[in-house]
Amino acid sequence: MKKTKTLGLLRGLLWQVIGTVFGLGFVTAIRVLMRLPAWKTEPAVVVGALFGALFFLYGVGVLDDWLKWAAGEETPEHDESDWGWRRYWGPSHDHKVIGIQYLTLALILFSVGGLFALTFRTQLAGNQQFLSPIEYNTLMSLHGIVMIVGILIGISAFMNYTVPLLIGASDMAFPRLNAFSFWIAVPAGIILLSSMALGGFDTGWTGYPPLSIRAPLGMQMFFLGVSLSSFSSILSALNILATVIRLRTRGMTPFRLPIFVWAAIATSIISLTATQLIGLAFQMVMLERLLGMGFFDPIKGGNPILFEHLFWFYSHPAVYVFILPGLGVISELLPVFVRKPLYGYRWVAMSSLGIALTGFLVWGHHMFASGMAEYLREPFMYSTLLVAVPTGVKFFSWVATIWKGKISFPTPMLFVLGGIVVFLLGGLSGPPNGTISTDLLLNNTYYIVGHFHDTLFGGYVLPFFAAIYFWWPKMTGRRLNEKLGKLHFWLMGPAMIVLTLLMMRIGLLGMRRRVDGYDPALGFQPYHIVMTIAAFLIGLSVIVFFINVFLTRKRGEIATGNIWESRSPEWQVPSPMPLHNYEKELEVVGEPYDYGLPGSRYVKFVGED
Amino acid sequence: MVETKELTQSRRPTGLQLGLMVFVILAILTAGEFIFALFLNVWPLLALTAVLKAGLVMYYYMHFTRLFESDKDEDRESFSYKLTTNRLGLWFFILSDAFVFGGLFISRFNLLGLTRPDVNQFLGVTVTSLLLLSSFFANRAEVSMEHGDRSRAIRSLAVAIFLGVAFLAGVMGIEWRIAPFGPADGAQGAIFYTMTGFHAFHVLTGVIFLSIVLRNLVRQRYSAEKHWAVEASVVFWHFVDLVWIFFYPALYLIGTLPK
Repeated sequence: MKKTKTLGLLRGLLWQVIGTVFGLGFVTAIRVLMRLPAWKTEPAVVVGALFGALFFLYGVGVLDDWLKWAAGEETPEHDESDWGWRRYWGPSHDHKVIGIQYLTLALILFSVGGLFALTFRTQLAGNQQFLSPIEYNTLMSLHGIVMIVGILIGISAFMNYTVPLLIGASDMAFPRLNAFSFWIAVPAGIILLSSMALGGFDTGWTGYPPLSIRAPLGMQMFFLGVSLSSFSSILSALNILATVIRLRTRGMTPFRLPIFVWAAIATSIISLTATQLIGLAFQMVMLERLLGMGFFDPIKGGNPILFEHLFWFYSHPAVYVFILPGLGVISELLPVFVRKPLYGYRWVAMSSLGIALTGFLVWGHHMFASGMAEYLREPFMYSTLLVAVPTGVKFFSWVATIWKGKISFPTPMLFVLGGIVVFLLGGLSGPPNGTISTDLLLNNTYYIVGHFHDTLFGGYVLPFFAAIYFWWPKMTGRRLNEKLGKLHFWLMGPAMIVLTLLMMRIGLLGMRRRVDGYDPALGFQPYHIVMTIAAFLIGLSVIVFFINVFLTRKRGEIATGNIWESRSPEWQVPSPMPLHNYEKELEVVGEPYDYGLPGSRYVKFVGED
Repeated sequence: MVETKELTQSRRPTGLQLGLMVFVILAILTAGEFIFALFLNVWPLLALTAVLKAGLVMYYYMHFTRLFESDKDEDRESFSYKLTTNRLGLWFFILSDAFVFGGLFISRFNLLGLTRPDVNQFLGVTVTSLLLLSSFFANRAEVSMEHGDRSRAIRSLAVAIFLGVAFLAGVMGIEWRIAPFGPADGAQGAIFYTMTGFHAFHVLTGVIFLSIVLRNLVRQRYSAEKHWAVEASVVFWHFVDLVWIFFYPALYLIGTLPK
């Protein structure tokens, strides 16, 4: 096959350029036919970007099998065994390869988003405006959305890599769709970042109209990039749900599923359904800008509050999309490192679903100060505080699992414990925002910023690195260096706590969020200097991680066996994982987390006794 | 014992008859809601009719219950096992897509409340009938395929595609031209053109999907046992009809004209 000789990514990028030019020409041609002035920048660029993304998908080759099917040809499974390293650069159907592709893209996006943050943090520390207001706002907005897209892709990374392994499947239910979900995220990311070159945008990641209707052209690239990447999230969730329902190995009844899989189910339910509404809301603003449709323009009879409802209907549950897999990783790894059964397995499994379902009913707490109908505030306040109940179940389970355990502290365990502490800070700082009376004061201050950075760092970033350190040997056959890993943790964790606690502090003192400077007389500068130093330490810790990856790539300690003494099926076979996962069929014969109980088994291979 | 079994089997309608009966009920309900809305505009009753129609379509035309059938073959690589997985995937897709239309539906009532755009009632009921009729023929194609009657499947599918194109022509070719407002004329124009536009986009993809399947059907790519593509395209087509079951009353019937 010729296509395996060239790199899919490069082909895709070439086709994206062709597609963009085609789209520009297409709009111009239509305008000429309609006897309008031939060139209008905004529609041409939007349609160009859209065609660019579609052509990218064609170029990279993820549509090949479907096009063949449409032409009436058979499309058997690919044999990828002779593709070698090129698998990672092209449309591979193997969930392990796609998981690593997602992981790489997520780490790239994190690094980019982090650099944006460091740039504007430097300005806040000096309180000297070296960035123009639009530059500052663009970096601040892009920091938000690039991190969010990066988190969504990071979640797909670890769900894709681990879920089929954890349930003993050979691949995902729909491998072609899986490749499609990954590759659509690449042009989406490019389009999102291209907003910087097209005038930027100044709305923050929320893109509220009417400001987003007047913002520069970069706004459209933001909307289009997010809309396209939402398909990645939706289709990946669809695949995970179908895989878990249909491809579990023999004996894996619902309450013998690994706990991370329960978290993946809960996350996927939200991603599959609610994500459509952020896409819809953004497309409505795009249409308002392109065709003058008056959805959110009060003069035309529109309603700006409607956007906020549609937007937060996804964007609040989205934070549970971010944290549920992270909390799942915590529950998954904790028993391994304390050598004790997970306390209250069923309750923890159900708490993930509980958080996901309650999450659908709380979006209005982002809108207490928006001018929505006042009678809606109280029900949203109570539903919001209700989320604390299933979250509390998780904390109770973690504490009870650690209680009297034989604890060891390798790097993944440090990140797990750090995640619990930081997420606790995030959780405890939450109720003041969910309560109407206090939220009206805290709204739009740095307190909110501190709160959500704690929840996302504790609920996502630290567990994400825990998962990387834990499953790295499974992916590569080599271990990441322990000393560098511990350095990574001890730089990142404390710096994050200092950063967010100071954010909350200056928020309480009255520092507004999303501003590019402040009155020196307010005395915030010392806080900002300390926060910026902490932010740079976090950046340094990530560099330490990359150095670790680079150093252990060839010379790392070889780890082919069950180095964590885990009971999970993927550790019962050698690392790195064989091409088609499990050569012998698995059977689940016991409870998943009975660590320390003599004679108990979770899985056995068919034919073993 | 044997006799009674044969008797009950002969009394049960065949797939084709069942499809026709469901179509007749749907047609009566559609005509009913149209006439009813002319005289007495009470939205809860229109909503109830829509829910009833949607239930009939999901149960009889989209075979929702097939998702809960137990697997005939436990082998993961077998056709029948993969078929059930594919059905599940398609339904997840439909569920996800329904949220887009649900969002638009809610936006319509948020923006316009109980007023409706001033659009051509006769055209509205005509295109609705075309889509319903198209759904019936799509079902006929699928049932014929199950019975192994390929030539009837081809004929029915061709009619379904033709009616789908006629629906598109009615909405985009006529309605969009004769409507007394454009997309930039207020919230009413915005929501009307977006709802019909998003739906028309799905009709268009459905027509393309059905046409691909028709071409492969003519070239004998499917059999009575293995015709997942036919089933998938037809179920998607019914979903497009299902959306219109809610959009039609929301855009044409519910509410009064603005003063």
